[in-house]
Order: sequence, then C-alpha cells, then structure tokens
Amino acid sequence: MTEDSGMKENIVCPFCGCLCDDIALSVVGNQITDNKNGCSISQAKFLNHHDDRLAMDSSVEELVKKAAEIIVKSKRLLVYGLSSTENDAHREAYKIAEEVGGVVDNTSSVCHGPTILGTQESGESIAALAETRHRADLVIYWGSNPQFAHPRHMSRYVRADGLFIKDGKKDRKIWVVDVRKTISAGVADKFVKINPGSDLEIISALRAIARGKILDVEEVGGLSINELTELVEAMKNAKYGVLFFGLGLTQSKGRHRNIDAAIRLIQDLNYDSKWSMMPMRGHYNVAGANKTSTWQTGYPYAVDYARGYPRYQPGEYTAVDMLVRGEPDAVLNIAADPAAHFPRAAVKHLAGIPVINLDPKQNMTSLLAKVNIQTAISGIECDGAAVRMDGLPLYLKKVVDPPEGVLPDRDVLRMIYDEVRRLKK
Amino acid sequence: MSKQTILTNGRVYDPMNGIDGEIKDICISDGKIVERVDGSAKKIDLKGRLVMAGGVDMHSHIVGSKVGVGRAMCPEDHRKDPVPKTKHTRSGVGYTMPSSYVIGYRYSSMGYTTVIEPALPALKGLGSWEELEDLPNLDSGLLPLFCNSMITFNYVKEGDPSGLAAYIAWILQKVGGLGVKVVNPGGTYAWAHGVDLRDPDGEIPGWDISPREVTRGLCQAVESLGLPHMMHFHPNNLGRVGNIETTIAQLDSIRDIKGHGGREHIAHLTHMSFETLGSVEGAGTDWGDLASGGLEFAKYFNKNKHFTADMGQITFGPATTMTGDGPFEFYLWQLTGGKWANIAVDVELAGGAGIVPYTYSPKAAGNSVQWAIPLEFALNVDDVWRCIMSTDHPNAGPFTKYPLVMSWLMSKKQRDTWMEGMHKFAHERSTLPTIEREWSLYEIAISTRAAPAKILGLEATKGHLGVGADADVSVYDVDTTKVDFAKDPDRIIKTFSTSYLTFHHGQQMAKKGKVNASVNGKVWSVHPELNESLWTRINKELEVMMNDWYSHSFYNYPVPERYRAPLEQKIPVDSTSVPA
Amino acid sequence: MSRVGVEALLTSGRTLKQGRAMELGKLGPEYLKEVAICEMDKVTLEALGLDEGDPVCVETLHGSVLVTSKIDRRAEPGIVFIPCGPYANAVTGSDTENTGMPDFKGVSAQIFGAKGEKVLNVKELLKQIMEGA
Ligand code: SF4
Ligand SMILES: [Zn+2]
Repeated sequence: MTEDSGMKENIVCPFCGCLCDDIALSVVGNQITDNKNGCSISQAKFLNHHDDRLAMDSSVEELVKKAAEIIVKSKRLLVYGLSSTENDAHREAYKIAEEVGGVVDNTSSVCHGPTILGTQESGESIAALAETRHRADLVIYWGSNPQFAHPRHMSRYVRADGLFIKDGKKDRKIWVVDVRKTISAGVADKFVKINPGSDLEIISALRAIARGKILDVEEVGGLSINELTELVEAMKNAKYGVLFFGLGLTQSKGRHRNIDAAIRLIQDLNYDSKWSMMPMRGHYNVAGANKTSTWQTGYPYAVDYARGYPRYQPGEYTAVDMLVRGEPDAVLNIAADPAAHFPRAAVKHLAGIPVINLDPKQNMTSLLAKVNIQTAISGIECDGAAVRMDGLPLYLKKVVDPPEGVLPDRDVLRMIYDEVRRLKK
Repeated sequence: MSKQTILTNGRVYDPMNGIDGEIKDICISDGKIVERVDGSAKKIDLKGRLVMAGGVDMHSHIVGSKVGVGRAMCPEDHRKDPVPKTKHTRSGVGYTMPSSYVIGYRYSSMGYTTVIEPALPALKGLGSWEELEDLPNLDSGLLPLFCNSMITFNYVKEGDPSGLAAYIAWILQKVGGLGVKVVNPGGTYAWAHGVDLRDPDGEIPGWDISPREVTRGLCQAVESLGLPHMMHFHPNNLGRVGNIETTIAQLDSIRDIKGHGGREHIAHLTHMSFETLGSVEGAGTDWGDLASGGLEFAKYFNKNKHFTADMGQITFGPATTMTGDGPFEFYLWQLTGGKWANIAVDVELAGGAGIVPYTYSPKAAGNSVQWAIPLEFALNVDDVWRCIMSTDHPNAGPFTKYPLVMSWLMSKKQRDTWMEGMHKFAHERSTLPTIEREWSLYEIAISTRAAPAKILGLEATKGHLGVGADADVSVYDVDTTKVDFAKDPDRIIKTFSTSYLTFHHGQQMAKKGKVNASVNGKVWSVHPELNESLWTRINKELEVMMNDWYSHSFYNYPVPERYRAPLEQKIPVDSTSVPA
Repeated sequence: MSRVGVEALLTSGRTLKQGRAMELGKLGPEYLKEVAICEMDKVTLEALGLDEGDPVCVETLHGSVLVTSKIDRRAEPGIVFIPCGPYANAVTGSDTENTGMPDFKGVSAQIFGAKGEKVLNVKELLKQIMEGA
C-alpha cells in the first residue's frame, strides 16, 4: 500500500526519454489531483492514468493460462515492445523468449536502432545532460523536434543556466537542422533547412571541410559551400558542443549511415574542441530496454533464441522484418502499440496471428489481440527502474495503487513464464 | 537440518593458514568452513587433488555502464562465442565482454567465487545493482569513483578533509560501495575543459588544486574513515612511454600518509602493463623508446611498502580497453583509428570514461614490451602478498586467460616458448629472458586468493580455508606430487581452466568445468558510520551541491533498498572519530 | 475525389498534441483529431482547391489513406507531414533495407482533395488494413 494523501515530490515522469525527476504530485486518497512541473504530456499521463484502461474478458489467472497455451503451441514466438515499462519486466520477458526459443525485439528497432548500428561501426562520444547544461556553448538538434517530442528538454537541460554557461539564453547557441521549420526551429538561434534525404551528404561534407578538404561543388543538400564552411568554423570554435539527434536522422534515407557519419564528425571535432552527442530517446525506457537486453544477451535488440543461445541480426530478428516475412506465429507484446506504429504490411500479419497484449490501456493492438491483460503503469501504479536518454538510471516510484486486481508487467510475465514451464513438462 | 559436506584427502594450498600442499579434509556446514561435521555429512573423496580457496579477483570490469556500452557496440566480440542455456543455467555470449550470466558461470568453472568491479560511476549505481542480480555464482562489490568529481574538488580546495571523508561515507552508504576508486585524478575532468592534464602537479582547471592534492586528500580520507580496502589507484599519465616516473612520483607523494590503525598499506596500484612504462636510457617518450619498467618498479616496490599492486597482464589477442580515464582512450583511439566510445558522466566524470577495442599482438614492438612489464615485475618482487595476478579484464585480456598468465608466472619454459616468436624489443628492452624465477603453487594461491582477500579487507571470510571462512572451495584435477608444472606449462593451463569442483558458500557451482548452479551471491557494501553532526552537515551540503550540479535530484541519487536488499552484505565501519 | 493531385514528400514525426492525446486514449476522438491529419502549407492546400479541414487522400506506393487537411504556417510547398501513428503508417513502406527500420521519413506521395469523403476512425482503419484493402 502507498501512504495516504499528500504531496509527493521528486517523482520521475515516465513518458519520454527526459525522465524529468522533479515532478510534484498532489495525491488525495488514491487519486492524483495535481501535477506540478510536468509538461502537458506529463499532466495528461499522471492525471488521466485511470482512464481508458484495457478491458479484460476474464481473470488474470485465466488470461495467463491462455497466453501460456498460445506460447507453448507456437513455433516462432516474437516478444516485442518493452520500452514503456520498467527494467524488471524486460528481464522476465527475456526469460520467456529464451525458454521457448523465440525472438525478442524492443521498439528501438523502429526508433534508434540505426543509432546503435552506427555505434557498432564507430563507437560514439556520448554526452550527459548535466554536462550539457553546465558546459555546452553550442547545441545542435538534428532531425529532432524537442518542443513537441521532449517538451522540457530545452528548458531543463539546454536553455537553463549552468556552471560555466552563466546565462543559458545568451551564452549558448542553439541550432536546429531539419527539413521543415518545426516549432523547435522557431525558438532556436539558427535554423538550418536542408533538403529531405540529404543528411548523409551534408554530414559527410561537414566532415570533409572540417578535415580541410576542398569540395568541388557549389552546394550540398541545399546548403552552399560557404554556409557549410561557416557551420564547420562555428562548430570548431565552440568550447563544448553537443549534438542531439532524432528520428529525422535515423528514419530517413541513409539510416545508420547517417549516424555513422555523424559519429565520425563528432569524434573528429574532438581534435579541436570538445564534442559529444546523444540520441533523443522517445519512450521513457527504450534506453533501458537496450541496456537490459545487452547485459543479459550481449545484444541491444533483435535477439533470437531459436538455437538456445542469443543471436543478433537487425533486418532478420527485428519485429517489422519478422512480421513482413510472415514468420512469427504468435506475438507477446508488452507496453507498445505495434498495430499503430508499424507499416501496413506488418500490421496485416499481426492481425492474422494470436497476439498476447500486456498494457495498462487500450490501443490499436488491443483491438486485434487475442489475449489482453491490463497491467499497472510503471512509475505511477508500481515501482521500477528506467534509464534516461543519457544512460542515467532512475528509480520510478509507486504513487498510487493500481486498479483492483491489476498487476505490474513483471508479475504477469513471471506468471506466464511459470505456466509455460508447467505446460512444457 | 544443516547441510554438511566433507571433502577428504585434498592436497591443500592455503597460505593464509600457512598450509603448503598438505593432505587435509575440509569440513563444510551451512556454507561455512567448520572444524568437524557429523557422520551424516556428504563425503567426497578428492583422492589427492589440488584444493585452494575459491579464487578472489579484485579487479575485473564485470558490470556497469561502460561494460554495457562496450558490449552493445561490439557484437562481433560475442558472435563467435555463444553459450546455450542448460537445465541449470541461462544462455548468453562470451568473449572479452561476456553477458552477465556467462561471466558468473565462467568464473565458476575456473574456481573463482569472488570478483570485484573496480570502477563504478556512483550516480549510475542503480544500474549496476540491477545487473548484479543477473550475475550469479559470485560474491561481489563495487568501487565508486571519486577522482574527478567536483564535490571532491570542492572539499580538497576548501581544505576540509572531514567533508571529503563524509562525502565518501555518504556515497558508500547510499549507493552501496566497497571502497574508493581513483582514476586519473583531475585529468579526466580537465579534459572536459579541453585540457590535457597529465602532470600530477598541474592545475585542475578552475579549481586551483592539483591531481597530487586530490590523490592525497582521497587517500587520507580513506584512512581516516578506516575503510577495509585502501584507496584503489590508477594514477595520472596512464599508458604513456616513460610514465613509470609519474607513477613513482605519485606513490612517493602519499608515502607519509598514516595507515588506519597502523596498517602498512594505504594504496593499491592497478595494472602494471599500463602504469610502469619505462623508456630506453637517454631516449624520449615516443613508442619507439619504450622499455620495460617492470624491474625498476619491482625495486621501488621492494623498498617502499606502503602499497600493493596488480599486474593487469596483457595476454595477447582481443581485448577491450575501458577506463574512467577518458583522455587515455581518446589517445589510444588515435593510435587504432577504429571504434571509440566516450561516456561523459555528469559531475563525477565530466571528461568521460572511454572504450576502445584493442588486439594485442606479440609481433608489435609496444605490445610485446608491455607484456614483459608485469611479468618482469612479478618475478622480481620480494613479497607476493602485495602482488596480485590480474588482466584488468577486459583491458589487457579477458579473465578466462588467467590460466595462461599462471603458466607464464610458473614456467620459464613457457615464457621462452612465447618469446620465440615475439618482437625483439621484448628481449632487448626487458630483463625477462634472463629471469629464472618460477612462481610456486603456494605463490599462485597467495596472489589469486589470500592476498586479494586481505587487500580488500575481506580476509575474515574470503581467500582461505580456515574455520569460519565462507565455504568457497576450488578443487583442481591434478596430483601436484606427480606433475612438474614448470616443465609442463600446458598442464598448468589445462588444470586451471576448469576446476574439478567449485563450491560457493558450501554449494556446488561447477563440476569438471560444467556449471550446475545459477544462484545469487552477496554484494558487499561498506557503511562508515559518522558522528551525528558530520552526518547532518554532509546531508545538507550534498543536497545543495547535488541539486546545483546534477541534472537529477539529491533525493533520487541513492540506490533504493529494494534493489540492494536481496544481495547486500553490509560491512559497518565505525568512523565516528572523523571530526565534524 | 479530385483527380488532380499535388506531388510532395511525406514525412512524419511526433507532435505535442499527439503525445498528449495518446495519454488520453489511443482509440478516442482526441487521438483521431491529432493523428488523422495531414499538415501542409497554404499554397498546396489552395492548389488542391480545399479549405483547411477538408479531407485529403494521401497516396504512396504502399497504399493510400484519408486524413483531414491542416495548415502549417511554417511549412513550405513540397513537404507534407502526418503525425506518427496508424495513418502515417498506412502509407509507409515496410522494406527496412536490413536495418529493422522502415522508411518512415521522406516517402514520395500524391495528395488529392477528397471533399465529402469520410476519415476512418482507428477501428475502421484497422479493419481496412486487416481486410487487405
Ligand atoms: S519532458 Fe518528458 S519526461 Fe519531462 S515531464 Fe514532459 S513528458 Fe515527462
Ligand atoms: Zn581496470
């Protein structure tokens, strides 16, 4: 049981990769009545957590049995999701996949998977958010719209004053590089508009110029050589630069090649200055999903257990590819909505196979799922650990009790695992 | 009913109790070594096989943020080394950065039962505790880093040793740490300002203090708190030709610090392969000038008894370098041109920890000399109790190469064989080819069991087989009266690669190298108790500093009980004498 | 539906309201209002002969979808935007080029006016996908 009414402070917001931990909630009885400090998404998340819950058509125990039967019957189980639940749930999910020789993939395959592929080519100079606030005199958002996707990213970490950046508004320059003038571009000090799909060429050109190469062209991706040279000069002259990049870079043409090029550019800039970079992780614990998967299996996502040991291959064991090939004959989906976020061809296969869906709320996937199990919301109705976009682990607190009879993902998964073991005997 | 086992007819090497190859029985009851067991005890006749206490590895990077980043960015490291699940064990992958379960299993199958993670960014402590729950069959502990933290600098600058000691006490308690790690003090921080600070007497930008002062301050703080493990120390200027001078200067600079309760050793120096690079007389500090500093350092070591050291032995082949010394890794990357990761960590490691995959080649001039350094050192020390075998896993090579390292230490024949194809610099720039000494099994037992347990302050229960010790026992399938290890180095490797039996807390973990258990061990944390006024003061001061400097709240800094309780073994320390 | 289309590059991404609406209910009217839209510049909308709020049909190689038109004052001709969600995904390809990541950004599309036609709700859209239309 949680303590009674009152003010709860230093609560972590379990929505986006910023994991703001300064949320102050008023709780009356088992009801959150006010959210101080949270952005409007955070408000919606905390104040409406009771609404729109996933309906269950029988008891959790019955549903767990059904789920286990589906899993045991399947020959090729896909376990998917995980980025909007806490770490212990991930660990239980891997156990199930390992037990039945299934595949486990998290949502990073459709967000920052290419970032991981880029780091596997080149490494990465990884930034930290406190360091950004204290030191960065130049911050670039590339293919990322923080004002919408990470509403407090700028105000908490970038526009805020720091130890060596006394006035975050004056002493720090913010650039936005994007194909369209986003709301974030509107509040930046500089907007660099580039042609769609030209990121790779532009980054490569920047790197070449930074290395003193002469380019025999007039413009690259919509930017003149002069403009590019100016950008490079400013980047080299920055004392401490940080590149934040979003799906505009990972999801567009070039994908991991874009990231690889960006990594190399940032690494090179360390000869002249200090530069680091950070992917703008979307779901609050997608970074955690990569981390837990990596320590248990050696690999951050796209893991297949068919041979009794983990194998890794994006493009093969990634969820979209698996579904488009028509490979899985059952899906265990945890805290994600693939039906809403996958391309049509993948959803079509998903709709034709038994789906077990664990989520606090209803969504498009729950419409096509065979078994829907409502679970507690991590960070509101149960505790757990999550990982911020810069790798900082934070403890999510339980603030109020979950609806009657509703369990955390980790408990439901443990029950499914036990039942699978029992059925397999 | 208590669980009892008796291991009869083992040939026991137990240096802490002065036992050097005697046939003895080992009695186990409820996870402890006891005087005797009753008739109902399970009896295992070892038929003269070699028995030692479970191995204690005091410096091996097994969990945490940089291990994770390293694993994720190097799938090629694990692909060729898959580990299937079994009835008793989970699956995973191996090689230089094995997955968590596999680390536990591979140590078990080698007869190791205690392994310490020597570099924890304290603010990421939660992640390491989570990971330890998935790292079975070992007792463990974490050493938080204090060397590039602005909070440390603040107290050093203010001349407030009590504040510094209290900060350490607070972190060890709140995050759950076993001791104090110091890596390139001030140098990593300076790098965040774009400053390459390698001189211990240089200035840490903006603080008006030097690495020397930080090192002294931390060393003094550890002694004033009376922590069981002394300062665990990786000095400035790592991995540079001629850095033996810096290393010795830094050790000299703490020599006068009084050990707590009169103890002799006040620092543990890490990985010789990287810390004691000499240079050819009269030459400079280019890689072409590299010479072994192993002998020179052994002489210093024999004369100056205030510290202990580990080898960090290069083993050749693939390795992954990872250290809180970010600028060193940047430098190494410039030599390799391959992958490089750097992980900036807020206020505590602003410049960042670094990771660079590296393959050591016996044909390479530099690598071959670096290989010779720790061996030359270890074969010239007069006190093996201060000299620990390690590979600084995975920096100089994976821990699975320990048997190979043992063979180099125990067999001149083996060293000669390896040196045959090696770069000529290993011959010309070290005295290794002329060294006849071969370590005995007793010395191996000291260096891999008794001594590390003692240095860690865990000798009451670890590193020996006396009554009251934890029943961590490794049995190796060899009759030492019938083999001459020095003449048969392959036999050394075979013997120590897989134990015949490994017991951890009295429970069998592995048999003939096959792991048949997957259970959580304990994780030690030290809890220095401060007097009340100092505790109140440090909480107030840290709240202000953390809320100003970090990007998350002071209140969210501690690792919650729920992640620690299942594993944690608290070691209380009375530090109330530290003045407020 | 008008047969005269406008060529544009379709891109998708998050919006604040879409994020908020997700928390209010992914099957509810709020969510529909925030993700079943296509943002474009004024000129493009005028070229289609539409007023803001009229339905448009967005067609790509991978399929077509009906959404409500919306003006984005910052936008320029040539690029249109659908917030990430089921409507954007109904017209994105599934080839990941061996990366796991489909082409969510920068798909070439044709936009047609679709006055008088009805934008499907999430349930109807799903049904349409399942039936393979
Ligand atoms: S920015 Fe992200 S983590 Fe912070 S309050 Fe808003 S939704 Fe929550
Ligand atoms: Zn180390």
